[in-house]
Amino acid sequence: MAGSLQGGRTSRRIGHVTFRAILTLFMVAILNFLLFRVIPGDPADMLLAGARNSVSAEQIESQRKSWGLDRPLIPDQLLNYLSTTFQGDLGYSFKFSGRRVADLILERLPATIALVGVAQVIAILCGVMLGIYAGWRRGGAIDHVVSGTSLALYSTPPFWLGMVLVLVFSTALGWLPGYGSYSPSAATADLPDWLGDRARHLVLPVLAIALGLIGQYVVVARAAMSDVVTEDYMVTARAKGLTSGQMLMRHAFRNALLPVVTLVTLNLGYIVSGAITVESVFAWPGIGSLTVEAVNGRDYPVLQGVFLLLGLSIVVANLVTDLAYGILDPRVR
Amino acid sequence: MTKLTAESRRHLRTQAIKSFLRRFLGHNGAWLGLLALAFFLVLAAMPGALVGPLQTAITATGDFLIPPSTQHLLGTDEIGRDVLNLIVHGARTSLTIALVSTVISLIVGITVGMTSGYYGGRIDAWLMRTTDFFFVIPSFVLALVITPVVLEVIGRGGDILGFRPSLFVIILVIGSTSWAFVARIVRSQTLSLRERQFVERARVVGTNDLNIMVHHLLPLLVPQVAANGALVVANAIYTETALSFLGLGDPLQPSWGTLLSLAERAGAASSGAWWYFGAPGLCVLIVSLGFVLVGNALDDTFNPRRRAIP
Amino acid sequence: MKNPCQQAKAPILAVEGLAVDYRLRGSSLPTIRDVSFEIQAGEAVALVGESGSGKTTTAMAIAGLLPPNAAVSGGEVRYRGDRLPIDDDAAMRPHRWSEISVVFQGAMNALNPVHRIIKQIAEPCQLQLGMSRDEAIARARELLELVGISAERGRAYPHELSGGMRQRVMIAMALACSPSIVIGDEPTTALDVITQAQILKLLTALRSQLNLALILITHDLSVVAECCDRVMIMYAGRLVEDGSVADIFANPKHPYTKLLIESIPNPEHGKRMVRPIPGDPPTLQHRPSGCAFRSRCPSAMPVCATEVPNLKRWEQGRVACYLHPPMKHEEKALANA
Repeated sequence: MAGSLQGGRTSRRIGHVTFRAILTLFMVAILNFLLFRVIPGDPADMLLAGARNSVSAEQIESQRKSWGLDRPLIPDQLLNYLSTTFQGDLGYSFKFSGRRVADLILERLPATIALVGVAQVIAILCGVMLGIYAGWRRGGAIDHVVSGTSLALYSTPPFWLGMVLVLVFSTALGWLPGYGSYSPSAATADLPDWLGDRARHLVLPVLAIALGLIGQYVVVARAAMSDVVTEDYMVTARAKGLTSGQMLMRHAFRNALLPVVTLVTLNLGYIVSGAITVESVFAWPGIGSLTVEAVNGRDYPVLQGVFLLLGLSIVVANLVTDLAYGILDPRVR
Repeated sequence: MTKLTAESRRHLRTQAIKSFLRRFLGHNGAWLGLLALAFFLVLAAMPGALVGPLQTAITATGDFLIPPSTQHLLGTDEIGRDVLNLIVHGARTSLTIALVSTVISLIVGITVGMTSGYYGGRIDAWLMRTTDFFFVIPSFVLALVITPVVLEVIGRGGDILGFRPSLFVIILVIGSTSWAFVARIVRSQTLSLRERQFVERARVVGTNDLNIMVHHLLPLLVPQVAANGALVVANAIYTETALSFLGLGDPLQPSWGTLLSLAERAGAASSGAWWYFGAPGLCVLIVSLGFVLVGNALDDTFNPRRRAIP
Repeated sequence: MKNPCQQAKAPILAVEGLAVDYRLRGSSLPTIRDVSFEIQAGEAVALVGESGSGKTTTAMAIAGLLPPNAAVSGGEVRYRGDRLPIDDDAAMRPHRWSEISVVFQGAMNALNPVHRIIKQIAEPCQLQLGMSRDEAIARARELLELVGISAERGRAYPHELSGGMRQRVMIAMALACSPSIVIGDEPTTALDVITQAQILKLLTALRSQLNLALILITHDLSVVAECCDRVMIMYAGRLVEDGSVADIFANPKHPYTKLLIESIPNPEHGKRMVRPIPGDPPTLQHRPSGCAFRSRCPSAMPVCATEVPNLKRWEQGRVACYLHPPMKHEEKALANA
């Protein structure tokens, strides 16, 4: 009976979390729609301006119809917008004449995922470990150095860090490339060289994003661990004869991880802004550079597409961490 | 209950302030942070007196991209402007944006959080759902799409309430998208305060809701709001810098972020012009670190960890 | 009075001249001083005092569990005649839980919220007794049944149990490595009266069943009468009286003990008001000279201000007060001069 009660609560929680995620996504879409219509000028012009040169008049007319631009704003246009968006139709770019926004985004996505993914994995591994260690041995020399450095990293704009890294390792020392994601000369090389070239290009931008993230993770993991260390159950563990290593691994680690998981969702804004600005510094051919081009060229359809993508990834990331929290902490299951 | 005379109440208050200051200033971080902030506030308050009027693109005073010298302590930019001059004036722009947008987000956050916590029920449910949205979607992401659209709508010329339009828009957008954090904290505080006796008593006596909120609840929220407000400022500086870096700042009244953006476009990092982007970046780092340190110290002071002795 | 056979038996635990200091901002504060007592196998002893009297610090020092800002500054603790390395974490480890275990107060916080209770009970069996995982789980199931919880509940997490159940889990956990001594650190403080009685009954039953020595830390004298053989009263870091339960209640000697007993609400006396002890106990930072109790003591003498009274054998027990034994006239004059 207790088991089924537990199961019921868990599925209710998952339902609740999922509902909130969908609601948030819905609000993102509505905001996107409204912003679109606020811009002066005929929305059809805006949406199709980029397509003019390469699309025939009939195609434009049919597109107008399919978007319902001849009907009232709410609810017809809104519903239309939602359904076309849902089908992956995000309009045409102004700047890249005639190209579909969805195609542009898909083309740029892998580079960003590689960059952010590698940076995030490195940051979580290093940041959480260092933070937990600093909190465990708080007050020691290592703790002072680690937490001081982390606070500074946490306050540094990652793109500026990127510029400093370029200055030092690329311009001054010439060790690593500070521009683009590959060298043209290596594009046709065989696999090992090709991979090596890509990896070398990845180092500095990944470092720029990861260092800032490490700062954040260290700060939070350290605070979480400092709280756990003073908990009564740590005294119990000590009384039971656990070694300090066993206490850390069996009783402190998982408990200290809980606030860190929550943090991951809280600093998504940091990750997104970090990735976008760092990509711009390194001319990394990902979503970030696309965003910068869209902002400066007032390429609204692309900007809208990017917003939708960011909203979607943030909501999904939130959903994942919410569920992960449920697995880690039996109290919220 | 004993009645407190005005005299003894005043005494109690000075006592409380004294003990607060003693604990707050006991943190080394608080000192460092306050020192850094004071320095930059002075820069921002009187840039004209320190380095003369803001030189625009037209009044270049030196050669292009020359390294620091006695004439230009921090060198010049790609069109010959004095970097020190730009930075000191940038302090004013950056801090104004950060502080004003923080004030906006505190006002919105406190209002939403207090209303939500005080009235509860349906109002709470709807306000919190809205708060959730702003909590989940980062301020930077919202600002990134809203700012260009709003700028397009109102145009970049003229000025609004004494601000240049792009500054005004950035302030407004950052302020109106970063309040969710504050609202959540204020709401949970209000929920627990609402049950206290003095609120009940005020209600029985017939004090109206607004009065209760402003005179009875608000003063008790100050500690939490202050500690988190410092972090909100740090965040606002960060968001502003990133937005300006992407080209949404005002080139005619450059903030530190705008300067970094200009430096980036001039290829400062790849041409070795460290003085051009080094200084504005350091300024951002020091100011936001200052606010983080002060915020941490405030938080520590108001929510002391477990006592040293059981 | 005592039978000779019992007298010859060596005590299972002997504490001698124990002293503990807390460090606070560079200065070291004497917290407990000169605490000495012995406990026989299977004996139940209560350590009673107000909060801040040092009773928990004493217990934690004996178990080698002082926090990092406290340190043993004198004396020793012997278990079956051998010195326990209570100030050395690593050397103490083999003795933990298998010789002395602890039932902490507030089991909600003393149990790790993210682990199932069965795992937490089995953990010391695996680590201290070297059992395999399955053996340890089987042992934990037995222990749960022993404290009156069905073994199936072992899969629960601490937050899913009631306060009384959690305290039972704590007791089961304390018994995991078959210790000879169990320290109960206010094990029933957070519980309601009925649950409190059940837990005390359980402790008493298990004690006789397993021949455990029990050190019960409490501020509540009424708890003591039900389940202990002997009482030690602590005040401001020192033992002030030690005697059998019957003796202490019938014939308290130290003025503090007298006042403590008078402050117990007694239903037989009907509506008579409970008399709280006037004044506050001294804080750690401001310990008075001489006898720490003198400022609240109804029969304080000038001599109490100058020298700390030693804990001396008197009649059946021990007491630290200048009233016992009563001084002769000329002695008094000499001491007060």
